[in-house]
Amino acid sequence: MKSIIELKNLHKVYATGTHALKGINLEVKEGEFCILLGLSGSGKSTLLRCLNRLIEPTSGDIYIDGIDVVAAKGKKLRYIRRKIAMIFQQFNLIKNLSSLTNVLTGKLGYSTLIHSLTFPQHKNDMKTALENLRRVGLKEFAENKTRNLSGGQQQRVAIARALMQNPKVILADEPVASLDPATADSVMRYLGELNKKDNMTVICSLHFLSLARKYGTRVVALKDGKIVFDGTPREIDEKKFKEIYGEDAEEVKIR
Amino acid sequence: MKKENKLKSGLQAILTDLLFWIYIFGCVFFLINHWFEKVIPSSFVVIFGIAVGLITFILGLSAGRKIFLPTIRTANKWHKSFWGWSVFLILFITFVVGWNMVEVDLYKLFTKFQNAGGIMSGIFNPNMDILIVCLTALAETIYLALLATIFAIPFAFILSFFAARNLMPKTFIGNTVYIIIRTIATLFRSIEAIVWAIIFSVWVGIGPFAGMLALMIHSIASLTKLYSEQIENIDSGPVEAIKATGASTLQIWIFAVVPQIISPYLAFTIYRWDINVRMATIVGFVGGGGIGLLLLQQQQLLRWQNVGVIIWLIAAVVWIMDMVSAKVREKLQEM
Repeated sequence: MKSIIELKNLHKVYATGTHALKGINLEVKEGEFCILLGLSGSGKSTLLRCLNRLIEPTSGDIYIDGIDVVAAKGKKLRYIRRKIAMIFQQFNLIKNLSSLTNVLTGKLGYSTLIHSLTFPQHKNDMKTALENLRRVGLKEFAENKTRNLSGGQQQRVAIARALMQNPKVILADEPVASLDPATADSVMRYLGELNKKDNMTVICSLHFLSLARKYGTRVVALKDGKIVFDGTPREIDEKKFKEIYGEDAEEVKIR
Repeated sequence: MKKENKLKSGLQAILTDLLFWIYIFGCVFFLINHWFEKVIPSSFVVIFGIAVGLITFILGLSAGRKIFLPTIRTANKWHKSFWGWSVFLILFITFVVGWNMVEVDLYKLFTKFQNAGGIMSGIFNPNMDILIVCLTALAETIYLALLATIFAIPFAFILSFFAARNLMPKTFIGNTVYIIIRTIATLFRSIEAIVWAIIFSVWVGIGPFAGMLALMIHSIASLTKLYSEQIENIDSGPVEAIKATGASTLQIWIFAVVPQIISPYLAFTIYRWDINVRMATIVGFVGGGGIGLLLLQQQQLLRWQNVGVIIWLIAAVVWIMDMVSAKVREKLQEM
């Protein structure tokens, strides 16, 4: 299978002097469900945000679907971004807008300003947005302001927004860290479905090994900005786990 | 401590001490002049100030050292130390000078009440015959405040985006735009509306239009500041999320920023209208029209009963505006 993401010697040094990524080399194949493990501060969020340039990498190369991401500017960068959807721990919806409008914002990368201001006039966009909301089981909440939805529902709206981009890659930054275990599993199930049915490549940072084993096809572990493990979820035993999370860590079972 | 920093702190300390003692001697000589009518050359103030400042600094007793170069040599309890007593001295002497400069006269305050009898009886016996005239002028004031606010909104709205640190890119151009808009807004805001009214009453003639322009300029500056601070306080999460969809900068502003600021903007705007109605009265005094101008005229004619009507009307409007705007803002908070 062809590789869709390629990172070569990626470094990120923040203005504060923190060296968050120390030479990451990574190749992700199309259709993989790649789980990022690691302590808070190990560089997972930085890595994910470098992929769509929400954070500017200090040095190194990023290729997504063969396109040089680091060199991209302006329109080119927008075209790259719209093929990479992102899901966040805090959902990052616009809370006082309806679910439907939030989903429609997934189309912004494809729309001119005028078009995006008149979304309700464009039947196709409305249909796709409603279809995506239906897919995450929230069609009847289309008109509700997202602030009134539960955490799990908000994350599903965020998934529908991601779907609106028709992405090749989904970046998920601890998508279930603010959800209860049952809701967390249902959100992961949607991501799993997108991965299997729609053949979208998913890179997802997590803290739960059980979820990693259930949904991941590959696990990459970061520690202090370096990759310390790369393999299948099954290969992570207690020893490996302690290597990643430190000697005192105990695996928390959520099921 | 780095050498550079030490030098900087040292300079700050010695400068503080010099200014400290020049000020104290300035006060002393003012009081000598005031009480004994003896004029002392101002060069003495500077010479004495510098001398005492230097001596205390060199001896390591001074307040400047305490602030910028804290060492073991300076005691910590203020009443046991030289710097403590010198700070006490500067506060005390400031109070004494202030008392004399402001010509505080408690005797007058408690014995000359009858002088204000005319205006007091006017206030409690308002002349209702001129009520219609006053109401017309009052309407003028309210409308001019309203128009000033409405005209200020689009300017302030657009400017606020460029005056928000988190929206401006950290490039040379981004920083320059940010600094220029912030500086102009601060400058225009620090010029009181009353000064703008004087300028515009010469420019377009005395009347409500001049008052409106004055309030508009002041409102633009002040709303730009309030609005942009609101933008700086938004949740950056949605901005990040919308950016990640591949949206353009303008789309990010419209879809991720505007929805978050719309209700605080409305609240600020209504509050601003409330302020503008109050300021419109003052602005009227210097040629801005409306009830303020009427108040000035009646006061100069010593028609205290007419002044009484105007004062009650202004109080009523301010009170109502205050209540209404508080209620509306409360509702907006819940949205």
